[in-house]
Amino acid sequence: MSVIQILIYVAALVFLVTNITRFVRMASTPIHLRWELYPVAHDVKRYKYGGSFLEEADWYTKKLHKSKLGEMRVMLPEILLMKGVWEYNRSLWLWSFLFHIGLYLLSGLIIVLLLGGIIIGPNIFYGYDSLSIIGQIIYNLSYAMLIAGCAIGTIGTLGLIIKRMSDHEMSVSSTFGSFFNLYFIAAIFISGLVFFFSGNPVEKLITFYYSLITFQAMPNLGAAFAVHAVISGLFLLYLPFTHMTHFFMKYFTYHKVRWEDSPNVRGSKLEKRIQEQLSYPVSWSAPHIGADGKKNWADIATEEGENGKE
Amino acid sequence: MAKNRVKIEDISKPSEKLTHLDIDEMMPLPPPYDKIEEQPGWKKLSDDAIENLETSLDDTIAIGIPKPKNEEEEKELVEKFLRGLEKLLQKENNWTFLQPLLLSLEHCAKCQTCTKACPIYEASGKQDVYRPTFRSEVWRRIVHKYLKPGGKFFGRLSHGDIDLNWTTVARLMELSYRCTLCRRCAQTCPIGIDNGLITHELRKVFSQEMGIAPKEIHEKGSVLQLEVGSSTGMNAEVVKDNIDFIDEDMQDLTGIEVHTPWDKKGADLLLIHNAGEILAWPENPGAFAIILEKAGIDWTLSSDIAAYDGINYGLWYDDFQLGKVAIKHAEAAKNLGVNRIVVGECGHAHKALTVIADRVLTGDFNIPRVSAMTLLEEIVFSGKIKFDPSKNDFPVTLHDPCNMVRLMGIVEPQRRILRYLCPQFREMTPHGVNNYCCGGGSGFAIMSGHNFQDWRLAVSGRMKLKQIVEAFDDHPEPETNKYLCAPCSNCKGQLRDLFRYYGVREKSGIIYGGLVELIVNAMVDIKQPFINFDEMQ
Ligand code: SF4
Ligand code: SF4
Repeated sequence: MSVIQILIYVAALVFLVTNITRFVRMASTPIHLRWELYPVAHDVKRYKYGGSFLEEADWYTKKLHKSKLGEMRVMLPEILLMKGVWEYNRSLWLWSFLFHIGLYLLSGLIIVLLLGGIIIGPNIFYGYDSLSIIGQIIYNLSYAMLIAGCAIGTIGTLGLIIKRMSDHEMSVSSTFGSFFNLYFIAAIFISGLVFFFSGNPVEKLITFYYSLITFQAMPNLGAAFAVHAVISGLFLLYLPFTHMTHFFMKYFTYHKVRWEDSPNVRGSKLEKRIQEQLSYPVSWSAPHIGADGKKNWADIATEEGENGKE
Repeated sequence: MAKNRVKIEDISKPSEKLTHLDIDEMMPLPPPYDKIEEQPGWKKLSDDAIENLETSLDDTIAIGIPKPKNEEEEKELVEKFLRGLEKLLQKENNWTFLQPLLLSLEHCAKCQTCTKACPIYEASGKQDVYRPTFRSEVWRRIVHKYLKPGGKFFGRLSHGDIDLNWTTVARLMELSYRCTLCRRCAQTCPIGIDNGLITHELRKVFSQEMGIAPKEIHEKGSVLQLEVGSSTGMNAEVVKDNIDFIDEDMQDLTGIEVHTPWDKKGADLLLIHNAGEILAWPENPGAFAIILEKAGIDWTLSSDIAAYDGINYGLWYDDFQLGKVAIKHAEAAKNLGVNRIVVGECGHAHKALTVIADRVLTGDFNIPRVSAMTLLEEIVFSGKIKFDPSKNDFPVTLHDPCNMVRLMGIVEPQRRILRYLCPQFREMTPHGVNNYCCGGGSGFAIMSGHNFQDWRLAVSGRMKLKQIVEAFDDHPEPETNKYLCAPCSNCKGQLRDLFRYYGVREKSGIIYGGLVELIVNAMVDIKQPFINFDEMQ
């Protein structure tokens, strides 16, 4: 087993475990106070102009319907086309769009290559000469995704780097980390391009994936492959510890905050959770709160006397 | 465009001012307000203020933080601040906003999409310190450097450096009162980061841990409301007297007999006004009373402590003050046995009681809360009252209070009324959920200490003034009476000051007022105009 294989196993494991842990941790934070921001996508009828169920005087007598389809109709263009950036930050959009498309193509390529490893891995690994139709599709798709992902991603990333350096607002708020992340991703795309032009890239990738799936030693796939694989592996290890986890944390910012408008109904599970949380002890120090580390939220909020102070 | 550029780490470096404001550099205003020499500008801070208070952020002060006496005291305050930041990230102490806050702590891509949305940043001529991400970045850097393991090395590397000292804390404290919490920035963030929320949470650290908040919103605001019943200082007797006077005035003005009911057990609805209306714009509660009486609604006001004043300033700076006031409101409704609470024309009261307190009020405190906008819409279209829209045949535009519109989604009811009753209704640009704040949000409208009023009129209200004037650009002449409908007491406070500051009534012929006034003005039964352009501001 080579160092590259070990790196990729470890990176994949860390990537999955850390991201899942982060997701679960975020999902298990207490239910927060409502803090929605309109328009709310699951209110299909009123999304266009940003209205809510509170526009009805008898809203509390009706059951709230949340349309998953409505949410998807907003999320998909946001994820695929960077709609928010298009609407509100047009001069950044092209670079951001190309950058993300590059990343999506390379991420998609991982899935195609895993499939490829299973379906056509043996053919390539053992040098059989013909591929089935599905095999050919996977082969050609991988080829296209690799070159397109790396080329588009390179343009996008370089564009973002230049924009970050030249735009006053972006440059003053950039840190070492902001540029480091972009250079890191640029290195993935550029090393991917070099690897692509080093000859037989798909054969090499499928061979590599097959060796990963079957836990076999990999043959020497050349320096260009090794560089690209090591940079990509290191990036997988690094990503879960950065703000770039927004690619899945957006689920929370949109679905659990911006669009979280569930009203609290008497006797509901939500109410029970709130009541539990109202019994959390408080230790804020300002005198007007009168907390002592034992009194809970409900005690303090219902305390009579001079503004909480007996 | 501002000339002096400020980096985030500069906040820690002591200097006389982190930034200076200059009207020349601010966003230009449309005519006839475009001449810089005619713009009022602002008063200089007094020598006394400069000597004794922390004034090193910009050219104004919102809180008036006394300078610590010595280094020891400074250290103590910095330490307290850090403990407060820690509590902000604990579920026991901050379950109320922990999840959205953690999301905003970790995932900002520093793309600055949000900056273009901020009226304060834009109006100030793009002053770096007012950029929505500026204070968020300061907070992030402090958290990553001082509260995370290995932060001194890794935090600095990936999030940028900052020094936590008293200068940083004092400036950050003031800076948390240079944002109206309008959350327009959050609406445009592609990732869903909320710089408005971060400001809100910083204010909480200062209030809940350090006991520091502008006196207008704490001592003279929520504390007074909980002690006396209203931040206006009116106790139950005084408020009842005032409402009696208003009833009489309404009868004189309209010929309609009005008796505002108090503490009526079993009424269908409890109406809660912002008590500021009773003193500053009595025609608003008066018009409400006329409409409800004419529509035959079974309603009441409550004289219980805090229940005749819908304000809930805790919304802007302190979860505990918010909770206490919300419970008082709900308790009053429970005591009367009403079916629902209707919140009058006050945006933050709407949001505090209907949305934010929704997850504070449980069991029999959870009484349905509805917006006056929806009730008024039902009444106007019910046929119970006869209207003649030609009585409102003057140009009318609508200001969307952020709390009611962007943050609650109550967009159309008030518009349907205006489209029906006001033949010359026109929208501002942008409007609805994309509106700009009046510049008085998050407590600013009632904050006028030192020269802060000048700041909120020259900077935070600048964008709104531009929008209002442009909405009437087909009738710029002052001779044509125009009406700005602002169904929010807080916004009206800001608009009153804004109009006086720039002479809007005289130069453009625009007055401002609520929605109910337009409704009553269009009633067939009212013989004289209810809206008097000569008397109203
Ligand atoms: S808050 Fe959002 S819009 Fe603003 S810089 Fe961060 S990611 Fe970009
Ligand atoms: S909440 Fe409003 S005022 Fe505050 S930073 Fe965001 S856009 Fe600006």
